[in-house]
Amino acid sequence: MGVALAVMDASNSEVAVVDRALESVAEKKARFERDALQYTNQLYAAALRYTKDQHDAQDLVQDTYAKAFVAFHQFEPGTNLKAWLYRILTTTFINTYRKDQRRPQISDGELEDWQIFDAASHTSDQGRSAEDVALDGIADLDVRAALAAMPDDFRMAVYLADVEGFSYKEIADIVGVPAGTVMSRLHRGRKLLRASLADYAKERGFNRGGSK
Amino acid sequence: MNNLHSVPCDQIMQTLILYIDHELPSDQEYALFQIHFQECEPCKEMMLYESEALAFMKNLLRSTCNEQAPQDLHERIRQQTEALAGQSQVNFFSTSTTITNFTFDGTTSIQVTQEFTHEIRHDFTEGE
Repeated sequence: MGVALAVMDASNSEVAVVDRALESVAEKKARFERDALQYTNQLYAAALRYTKDQHDAQDLVQDTYAKAFVAFHQFEPGTNLKAWLYRILTTTFINTYRKDQRRPQISDGELEDWQIFDAASHTSDQGRSAEDVALDGIADLDVRAALAAMPDDFRMAVYLADVEGFSYKEIADIVGVPAGTVMSRLHRGRKLLRASLADYAKERGFNRGGSK
Repeated sequence: MNNLHSVPCDQIMQTLILYIDHELPSDQEYALFQIHFQECEPCKEMMLYESEALAFMKNLLRSTCNEQAPQDLHERIRQQTEALAGQSQVNFFSTSTTITNFTFDGTTSIQVTQEFTHEIRHDFTEGE
């Protein structure tokens, strides 16, 4: 009889519609391993950006999966599992790892209106010449250093939008701030990153656009 | 110059990033941007320049931020999941009184009780 049940369990876990109320622990575990664990590498890369440390990043991902498993019955199958895992990763980082660092965060005085997309920044000579720099010679290490040098909030917004491809709304849910704040952080983060990468390019002598 | 367009250039420039990020709130607004770009070469050039610059940055970031988790992290998470599943079976056992309410009706209840004895048996072999 036990064998027959095991076979039934295995076939049930393949069914798209999951009745979480009736799901056994074994079924939940199988579903978790099949659906959630595939994001380990992605979450680890994100955790490296968040913590800037290999050991902290590993701990953060492991903590994330522990919390995710315990709360997995709360996750609604068919909705965005990747975003759900990122929310656990991000809030765990903000509440635990970042608190330890006690570093001042740039979040006060953030601009929240449309003015942040100032046309002036697009037309200023300085901005243009920096952006015109050929970045082909930029090394992975330079990109990582430039990201690491950014304030946490900006780095998270840029990472979630431009590496993971989350929408403003999804990032707002993941980070737990309004969408306007996400836009502001993303905009300023991208500007910072572009400027610092241009500096790296300049240092390495890849500035073909002149001396300015 | 601005006044020649139905939407002024500075308005287009201020919200250009929303167009590039596909974050405009409605199809109607995309249409307004596209009409503007057809009419206004400088804005169109700016849009193409900004789109390319952002795409370049994204490619750079994605090719850099692609580290693989160490094998022992994968292994630790697997073991942790096993351990947590073991713990929640204990919890399962303790809440089984609520489940026994279901066993008062019909044929489906038999299956449920069998499933539970199955789970509990695992618990006993591990616990004792």
